[in-house]
Amino acid sequence: MPVLRSREIPPVPPKPPKARSKVDPPATPTQGREQPATRLSSPHSLTPSPKTAGSVSGSAPSSLRRSLRLSSKGSSNVGDQVGLPEVERCIESSNGDVSKKRKLSVDVDGGFESGGSRVLSLRSGGKVTKRSPLGDGDVNGGGGGDEVVESNTKGKSIAETEYIEKSERDNEKENVNRKRRFSSEEKGKGKLVVETDLESKDETLVNGSVPDVEVPAEEVKSPDEKPSKRSNRGTNGGRMERFRDTARRNASRFAYFNTQEEEEKEEEDNNNLSMEAEREIPSVEEQIEENVAEDWPGPFSTAMKIIRDRAANLNVRQGSSSSGQVPSVKINWVPQKGKGKEGSKRLAPSLLDLSLRILVDNADAIASLDHVPDALRHKLCQMLCDSRRMNSNLLDLLLSGSPTEIRLKECSWLTEDQFTECFEKCDTSNLTVLQLDYCGQSLADYNVPSTLARSPISLPALTTLSLTGAYRLSDAGLSVLVSSAPALRSVNLSQCSFLTHGAIEILASSLASVLLELFVDDCQSIDAMLMLPSLKKLEHLEVLSVAGLESVTDKFIKEFISARGDGLKELNLSGCGKLTDSSLKIIAETCSILRALDIGNVPKLTDNSFGHLASGCRSLESLKLCRNAFSDDAIAAFLEMSGEILKELALNNVGKVGHNTALSLARRSRNLVSLDLSWCRNLTDEAMGLIVDSCLALRVLKLFGCTQITDVFLCGHSNADVEIIGLKLSPLLEHLKAAVESPLQYSSVSSLI
Amino acid sequence: MKKEDTVKLISSEGMEFVIDKEAAMVSQTIRNMLTSPGGFAEAEHGVVTFPEINAVILEKICQYFYWSLQYSRGKETEFHIEPELTLELMMAANYLHT
Repeated sequence: MPVLRSREIPPVPPKPPKARSKVDPPATPTQGREQPATRLSSPHSLTPSPKTAGSVSGSAPSSLRRSLRLSSKGSSNVGDQVGLPEVERCIESSNGDVSKKRKLSVDVDGGFESGGSRVLSLRSGGKVTKRSPLGDGDVNGGGGGDEVVESNTKGKSIAETEYIEKSERDNEKENVNRKRRFSSEEKGKGKLVVETDLESKDETLVNGSVPDVEVPAEEVKSPDEKPSKRSNRGTNGGRMERFRDTARRNASRFAYFNTQEEEEKEEEDNNNLSMEAEREIPSVEEQIEENVAEDWPGPFSTAMKIIRDRAANLNVRQGSSSSGQVPSVKINWVPQKGKGKEGSKRLAPSLLDLSLRILVDNADAIASLDHVPDALRHKLCQMLCDSRRMNSNLLDLLLSGSPTEIRLKECSWLTEDQFTECFEKCDTSNLTVLQLDYCGQSLADYNVPSTLARSPISLPALTTLSLTGAYRLSDAGLSVLVSSAPALRSVNLSQCSFLTHGAIEILASSLASVLLELFVDDCQSIDAMLMLPSLKKLEHLEVLSVAGLESVTDKFIKEFISARGDGLKELNLSGCGKLTDSSLKIIAETCSILRALDIGNVPKLTDNSFGHLASGCRSLESLKLCRNAFSDDAIAAFLEMSGEILKELALNNVGKVGHNTALSLARRSRNLVSLDLSWCRNLTDEAMGLIVDSCLALRVLKLFGCTQITDVFLCGHSNADVEIIGLKLSPLLEHLKAAVESPLQYSSVSSLI
Repeated sequence: MKKEDTVKLISSEGMEFVIDKEAAMVSQTIRNMLTSPGGFAEAEHGVVTFPEINAVILEKICQYFYWSLQYSRGKETEFHIEPELTLELMMAANYLHT
């Protein structure tokens, strides 16, 4: 349906066609900021060669009125024909002159078929239109004719005509407007602001909230100005020249666009159109939405277009016109030889590290750990567990006295007897944090009552409990445990494969008002839909991790997020393979304070998800992707919009990551601390160098599997603080060292009491 | 060693260790004490007291300071620590942010 395809629907009659420049509206910002960003989609409508002369006459005028176009859903020709008189009519209503011009163009259109030489096809790379800066009528006719022919080809002529007309109308002002609008868009700001001076004859079209409507609105305004413009026709000559030049320059860029990309843009336009059409014809919208499952918010799709055009621009500038091939954006970065590393002083290892290392080596000689602060205890335990020197004696030392925090990241060495022995006599009354990861061998239902849950008040202060891998713990055992720990705020039951949704029910019944964090990664016996009612009862849940649960579906997400999503700060959906974009849409719409999101290994997600995320989760500080199918453009556009606050980004094995992402990272990600670009093979040394030298807050860069990175980058970058992991034979496990955690991730314990 | 370039560290027993300011600055805690604006006595007199650190440990710490300076200048040797001291040394090092 040609009507639906073209997005730009100039609601008003055309102004005297001044220059082609209006036609190439959505030039990329880099193109001299002449074109409004909203017009970005129009290039697609600039179909190259006028293949079909048939619908020439009809298409042009009908494009003038968007409502007309939409209403004329019949064949383009028919509709156009119908629209034509309407257009003329409304044109006349607004401006007699305009209508006159319109007629002219129509006539020209009619006569155009015979004289096809008037229009140069875009594909040829030449001038878009052959306009002579003659009188209004002439120009108008020429312009109209040109437009018609050109736009005609793919039925997108409508947009073109109006653009051309528009361009002539309000060149300077609109240019300025577009420039302004454009630059704000280029800055990646969210909404485009409809110019306040735009009036619209067609109220339905003017829609300040939809950026894309700017275009029609702008055009609407043209007729008003037309009279004034017409008065100073004489001075327009120079401007027309300018616009022609602009058009000339931009034409070849449009010539680059091939069918494939145009169809892509058409889809985008359809989306935008669907937004605009929302107010007018709901049915149309539905139809559009059926065809195109996306409804990206305006700013994101605009950003995406900017990114795409950025590449296309460069491509054209370089003179190549390889169609169907996304050109890689050029990145300018040269290694600074030894700049940031000039004799960078080798930092001596800290005394703390040295002494810890010796302690670990001589762990058996440690007689007591009294007076050692918890932070140091955790560090010591971590190093002991890593080197497998942890044993029950040390555990006794840790448990002696009245310990407050116990963090053992790995308890697979602990036998059941040892566990029972150690914990039987442990005074747990002050215990606030208990982490016994991989304790499957030691913890079972029957020894819980004798060790941890000796009495209903045995764990009064416990706020954080982590019993991952407790594969012998069943719902009943958990129930006993939870009944002794009424103050629990954070529960990690990952990989407890025996637990069912009943466990969540138990948690919800006693901890509904206090539980803040719940981790049930890989609990294979828990069915997501069955645990949904219990989950919804958790009133203040901040962190939810359901990684690896295959039963997590869109329906689950929809229901849970609608109920509790507005309080969520962290969500881990890694490995939930059934999720689609609709889940991300809901998450983006509801989880406004979401700070961390992990959507790795969710293969069905498409770029639309990024569109939703960009407009929705404005506080996102940590985003983790792994093996996702996102495109370079989408990630780049997302970074343009949301990259400022991002602190942690993982693009592990997101194969399409390329130069656009690198550029956006370099420009936007000022606060990025940790970046994972493992297995991103499309990034060159230059791209890496640009990223690292621009992201001055970057401390950790993971490049596993990036064999394409050479010493050009490794020795040439000038960021002295960044640690690059994964390329050389560095102690790999260094990067796995977890920072000493506080009991709760997003709240402080004292704030809860 | 000129007086202005040195600081005096006093252990719990009262033993005094006079070392270069540059060496003492290896410890973030001491650095903050000596450079923070606020007219602290430490900064004024260049004396810092550590009532919780005994002399043996403090001596080891001073040795570490000089070793650290040496290391960053290129001379990378090994800093030996007696195992008996390690636990207390670790806690002192934690306190001193070094």
